[in-house]
Amino acid sequence: MGKVRIVTDSTADIPAEVRERLGIEMVPLKVIFGQETYLDAVTINSEQFYEKLAQSTALPTTSQPSPLEFAEVYQRLLAEDAESPIISIHLSAALSGTYQSAVIAESMLEEQSDITIIDSKSASFGFGMRVLKAAEMAQAGESKERILDEIKRLDGELKLYFLVDTLEYLQKGGRIGKASALIGSILNIKPILSLDPDGVVLAVDKVRGSKKAMARIVELLKHSFGDEPVAITIAWTHGDDTAMELCELVKNNFNVQEISYTTIGAVIGTHTGPGTSAVFMYRL
Amino acid sequence: MSKRSINGSDFAAMALLGADYLQRNAEHVNALNVFPVPDGDTGTNMNLTMTSGVRELRSKPSASIGKATEALSKGLLMGARGNSGVILSQLFRGFSRSLAGLEEAGTAQLAAALQHGVDMAYKAVVKPVEGTILTVAKEAAKHAVQYARRTSDVSELMREVHKKAYEALQRTPDLLPVLKQVGVVDSGGQGLVFIYEGFVRSLSETDGNGYQDHYSMPSEAAPPEEVAVPAAKPVIRKQEPLSAQARLTTEAIEFLYDMEFFINRTLSGHTGAFFDESAYKRALGKDGDSILVITEEDIIKVHVHSRKPGDVLNLSLPYGELTDIHILNMREQHRDLLENEHVDVSTADFAAAELLAGQAVQGVPPGQVFEWAPFGIIAVAIGEGIEDIFLENDVDTVLSGGQTMNPSTEDFVKAIEALSAEHIFILPNNGNIILAAEQAAELSERNVTVIPTRTIPQGLAAVLAFKEEETADRNAAWMKNAAEQVLSGQVTKAVRDTSIEGVDIREGDYIGIKEKTIVVSNASLQEACQSLIVSMLESGGDLLTILTGEGAEAAGTATLCEWIAEQYPELELEVQNGGQPLYPYVFAVE
Repeated sequence: MGKVRIVTDSTADIPAEVRERLGIEMVPLKVIFGQETYLDAVTINSEQFYEKLAQSTALPTTSQPSPLEFAEVYQRLLAEDAESPIISIHLSAALSGTYQSAVIAESMLEEQSDITIIDSKSASFGFGMRVLKAAEMAQAGESKERILDEIKRLDGELKLYFLVDTLEYLQKGGRIGKASALIGSILNIKPILSLDPDGVVLAVDKVRGSKKAMARIVELLKHSFGDEPVAITIAWTHGDDTAMELCELVKNNFNVQEISYTTIGAVIGTHTGPGTSAVFMYRL
Repeated sequence: MSKRSINGSDFAAMALLGADYLQRNAEHVNALNVFPVPDGDTGTNMNLTMTSGVRELRSKPSASIGKATEALSKGLLMGARGNSGVILSQLFRGFSRSLAGLEEAGTAQLAAALQHGVDMAYKAVVKPVEGTILTVAKEAAKHAVQYARRTSDVSELMREVHKKAYEALQRTPDLLPVLKQVGVVDSGGQGLVFIYEGFVRSLSETDGNGYQDHYSMPSEAAPPEEVAVPAAKPVIRKQEPLSAQARLTTEAIEFLYDMEFFINRTLSGHTGAFFDESAYKRALGKDGDSILVITEEDIIKVHVHSRKPGDVLNLSLPYGELTDIHILNMREQHRDLLENEHVDVSTADFAAAELLAGQAVQGVPPGQVFEWAPFGIIAVAIGEGIEDIFLENDVDTVLSGGQTMNPSTEDFVKAIEALSAEHIFILPNNGNIILAAEQAAELSERNVTVIPTRTIPQGLAAVLAFKEEETADRNAAWMKNAAEQVLSGQVTKAVRDTSIEGVDIREGDYIGIKEKTIVVSNASLQEACQSLIVSMLESGGDLLTILTGEGAEAAGTATLCEWIAEQYPELELEVQNGGQPLYPYVFAVE
């Protein structure tokens, strides 16, 4: 039996160098500005995206990879080693058709294959973390079963909260989910956003002002993790300081053993808007 | 000739004159407000409460004192507005319960009833404060119980009650330091003394004796309106012979047509005109009083006393179709009562039906089935901007009122009944409205929780803590807690010179009030705001919200914001148009 291969998509927000180091295959989603289509994290990086977003009058749209694009990746991996089991972990099916495309791709394959496609029911590093763990295990030569068990276990170990400048992007992109009730308020209300177990956006709480919002996030995380050793990942959009402030606050309040940083890519950014920051925390 | 007992008719005459005395002195009572803010309204509140009581009494004339006092009590209870109004309603609630079933009452029974009223009022108030209307009522009742053993003359007893109440009123500054500082007596207590005075005079008339001939008060304790009150308007007291009092009282009803109707915005083709509630109220106020305008969705309830009912109707027509139009001539009513003639039955039914008819205010036609929401929220607010903020944040009904007009218990009851929700929260947003809201919660058979918010900022914080998916108990706890986390401040113009807690205040100055304390008085609005903000931020805070009201100018607000950004670079600042009257700025620090 060959080495397990890990496939994900661009919305896992895993930096390119990390992907290369761990041999993670990434299928990009697409961002469309008017007539121009960009491949997320391939032909447009986070920095370029937010610059373009600031200049663009119309909001960009996004689209999932086609089944064919998934099939090509699977076929390439199988051509390298037909014995390799493939674990393909993707953006919440409640938010995107990416998972659906992957499933169709698998059914299109004529080759004999062992592909496990997982709906992460999460977004960004919320499932990127699982992708990383899986890739590390795969590199260490762990079996498919053990990796799948670990992915399952990690599912419940991670908490994510994110803040947006405005709910406008979530609303216009149709991903506002259960936070829709907060739309249209005159007051500068900061919803504390997260994803529910099905991967739908939800407002856990609402407060006024970003300082209060960050304090509330710390409170919520404290409730889950206390003083246990944890790893955190902070994700931010280009040119935003809130994430760094949030990072400092979290570092000072928790038993943080590992910190990593990532940017929120073009596709997620299309739906959350500029000025989004997120914290992902999980038990070590 | 002494009077050994009184019946329902006697009591009705007493109550009517009591209400009349209170009404004529309402402005005087308003002027006794401790803070020199422009919205002292104890007199207005008590007057409207008493007016509601008397209206109910008039609609159910009875020779039985038990029935008469019950009618007054019911009217008071529903019309209760403001803390003093609520306490007044409780005093008479106990009074009437004590007399239930009696045809007439003598001194011992009346004294016991007064005492019963005091007990009831003390029970109703969560934290009874001495030096207020409670103390005045208590001492008067205590004296009555003792004095009733010595006399069987009701007039004499009531004179003693009035005298004792007046004396207790003079001592209120000794019990409540803030009164002494400002140099006033308690306003609610003063209101009660006026009512008792009306009682005494009514009894003296039926005695055939002029009250003043028998008035045994020492001269320094002479008529209560001579109490030294800074800047209080002189009280106009009619000095005509008392035998003429009754007629004069009738003529004294200046705005004689008591009007009540609804403007239905959805009916007829007249929905075009934009309804500006405060402008409409001002227009009514040009030739009317006792104005009450309640807007609920597309239905506006209007109550006004006017000299020209036609003008009022014409004024209202552009906003929609007028329904349920009731117009009563109050002089006619008054004459009928005084002449002890039969009150027109249909008129009586009218007024009695008022309470019930009020419950048809809601826009839900009968017979239509609606699914009930788990929660409903009623907030009291004034100012278009503030109302909008509440409505956008889970509040279902905004009762217009607050600093200048306190909604009555009845307004709350109607708002409660109109909401199709399992559990209802009320945010009074004013310390003087909490009791009326609580009384409504008690009277209503629905599940109602009053979150005792004392300011608009507290109310806003409370609604933001509300979560649709949570239980009522947890929501109540969170909303209450959230309200307590906010520091409130407001700026208004002083209406008289005074000195309070070390701050010298001149009329026309801007005063900054932090929670319940005046922390600054300054001729400059800008400087008053700045000092207040400094004081509010003494113990920190991340977010300052500014609600601009009438009297705040854009340039001044911009200057203030620049100053804040410079002084407190870390502070988050949010400016909203509140549109509240009298208070150019309301601040919230969180």
